[in-house]
Amino acid sequence: MNRTLLIAILIAALAAGTLLALNGDRSGGTAMAAAPRVATVLPEPQTLPEFSLTDHTGAERDRSFLEGQWNLVFFGFTHCPDICPTTLATLSSARKELAESYAGTPPRIVLVSVDPERDTPEKLAEYINYFGEGNLALTGPEASIRELTEPLFVYFNRVPLENGSYTVDHSSVVLLVDPEGRFHALFSGPHNAADYVHDLPIVTSQT
Amino acid sequence: MRSLPLLLSLCLLSACGPADDSPLVVYGLEVTPPRPGMNMSAGYFEIHNNTGDAVRITRAESPQFEAVELHETTTVDGVSRMRPVDALVIAPGTTLKLERGGKHLMLMRPVEASLETVELRLYSGDTLLLSVNTQVASD
Ligand SMILES: [Cu+2]
Repeated sequence: MNRTLLIAILIAALAAGTLLALNGDRSGGTAMAAAPRVATVLPEPQTLPEFSLTDHTGAERDRSFLEGQWNLVFFGFTHCPDICPTTLATLSSARKELAESYAGTPPRIVLVSVDPERDTPEKLAEYINYFGEGNLALTGPEASIRELTEPLFVYFNRVPLENGSYTVDHSSVVLLVDPEGRFHALFSGPHNAADYVHDLPIVTSQT
Repeated sequence: MRSLPLLLSLCLLSACGPADDSPLVVYGLEVTPPRPGMNMSAGYFEIHNNTGDAVRITRAESPQFEAVELHETTTVDGVSRMRPVDALVIAPGTTLKLERGGKHLMLMRPVEASLETVELRLYSGDTLLLSVNTQVASD
């Protein structure tokens, strides 16, 4: 299954390059209505790896908790003043904008912490609620987080800094997970709210 | 308010009026609010060097924060990394942009719980290059 996923992602990455090229050619002309601008849609949705993590309310959650709605899954940490809040603010403003036209609730934001040592459920609760209502943050022992990230080829690595603290390098990707808990599409970044507002209704078959 | 060009002047004590021909000019200074649960902010601006020499900002401080570091985020092959940098160098006649996902100031441990106005002081070694103020962004 990991192997299938790898192949799917590789195919998706190739497709992303092709789509980008197509979009480049199209800019200025009339675009076909239903093509996503930046999202890479997997040829076949892939069931996510099973995981067991703690959410920002302190409850244990597994894969089934992602079911029943669309999810935008981002991997980051609260001690990240630049790229993480920027990406979350981008997703949050896209959600707000979509809320007006979307049938149902726009995809919820799911922050998976890559810094479980500092990101306690309490800290994550304060943090994730800042980016809108109904969002989810997950943390847990590093090994448990890796059970989710590694099969998805999502990378993170803790790096010590000279000032005695540390930072965490991490993949900048945002995964779109469908209401059956399957990895459906990816946004590889850089992330712009307008791209999400454009692509999400198309990818989630809202139009 | 924060889109107004902020004047900085090397003639700090004199009556320099706002003028874009000051040696160094800062535009669009923005300090993000510390997010709940997070003890830090980021600072972004553009800085133009009107002089004939490269300017090196080697450190920054702020009375409103215990520590300020010069940082750069890079995203290569889909992986974002944030690292301290030794200096921000502005070549003669050019503008350096500090922006989200790129070079930025990392402002750590606010001194007071409520943060409204932030003063930033940019130094080259021991020399104060300029001091600028802004309201914290409401984002
Ligand atoms: Cu930083």
